[in-house]
Amino acid sequence: MRVDEASLQRLMALAQQGDAIAYRSVLVACQHWLVRYFSGRIVPAQVDDLVQDTLASLHAKRASYDASRPFLPWLAAIARYRWVDQLRRVYRSREDELHDDLVGESEEESIAARISLDRLLDMIPERQAHVIRLVKIDGHSVAEASLRSGQSEPLVKVNIHRGLRKLSALIESE
Amino acid sequence: MKVDIEALVADLQPVRPVKPNGGILLVLATAGVVVAIVVAMLGVRPDVVAGKPHPMVMMREGMMLVLGFATLVAVVASARPGVGQVSSGWRWALAAASLFPLTSIVLTFAGDGFPPAVLFDFDGRICLAFSAGGALLIGTSLTLWLRQGAPTALNRIGWLVGLASGSFGTFAYGLHCESVTVFYVGLWYTGAIAMCAVVGRLVVPHLIRW
Repeated sequence: MRVDEASLQRLMALAQQGDAIAYRSVLVACQHWLVRYFSGRIVPAQVDDLVQDTLASLHAKRASYDASRPFLPWLAAIARYRWVDQLRRVYRSREDELHDDLVGESEEESIAARISLDRLLDMIPERQAHVIRLVKIDGHSVAEASLRSGQSEPLVKVNIHRGLRKLSALIESE
Repeated sequence: MKVDIEALVADLQPVRPVKPNGGILLVLATAGVVVAIVVAMLGVRPDVVAGKPHPMVMMREGMMLVLGFATLVAVVASARPGVGQVSSGWRWALAAASLFPLTSIVLTFAGDGFPPAVLFDFDGRICLAFSAGGALLIGTSLTLWLRQGAPTALNRIGWLVGLASGSFGTFAYGLHCESVTVFYVGLWYTGAIAMCAVVGRLVVPHLIRW
């Protein structure tokens, strides 16, 4: 399902007034958008959970949407917040393949480029982004990330911690 | 896909969109209460009552208001998140406010040192207590209001809530404060605001996490 920015803006305004049909349309569109947004930016098995968490946050915080402003930057801010929160959680995954079949399909390419998660990672030092990708997104262990990055294990941990802290502060940055 | 969209739709209730002006009005109303408490308990400087305040009073009170408003606007704006909407005007206000402690430091090292009378002034403790107490009321109301929004930079917002509430709390006490030296403002006013900012950073993020 593809819904353009202007329609999302209008539908969300109706949803804030209690229009269930409009709200369902918004949620379905957001679900598809979020799957694309998160794919390749987190371990595949975590994508569904992250989409669910983000939609639940959208629901809980729907009053924070300003109907006079574009919808996708608001959704992206919530998505980034949930994404960084998910990265913070300690987990390990054996999966080492990321599916990217859904990446890059957005019709709102200019907005998508501006609010993408990759852009967020590009805003922190490369040594920090590199180990975050290795451990938190690709699912490698700290030891494996140490071998691949050339950083010592304590340094990998420190750089992940510092990187996530910086990501948290940059959620609304373009 | 585990997402149960129907459950979210079934739970839908009309909501009133978050309005930043509501947060600003709430803080101003709370600050008004704090001013009333200071006036009732300590009184107001005679020159302020007469409408001819000392230049230092004008500067320090004006600076507290500028810093308070700049940080407050950034806080209430954060309730409605959006990529590309970071508000940074408060940094300039903070830089301007830092001129008071910076001037004190320069004068301390360029002149006869820091005046001991200011350092050990009992009124300084009163200043800290009233400023922090007022800030607690203001910061509490602002934090409660903010919980309906969706701030994303929790640590930064914690600092800003502390700075905003500290500035308004200090402004309220400043209407009574008898001192008109830059050393006093540089030490006690700065100390009160810095203390509020640290408390805000430590406490507020836990209360607005979502």
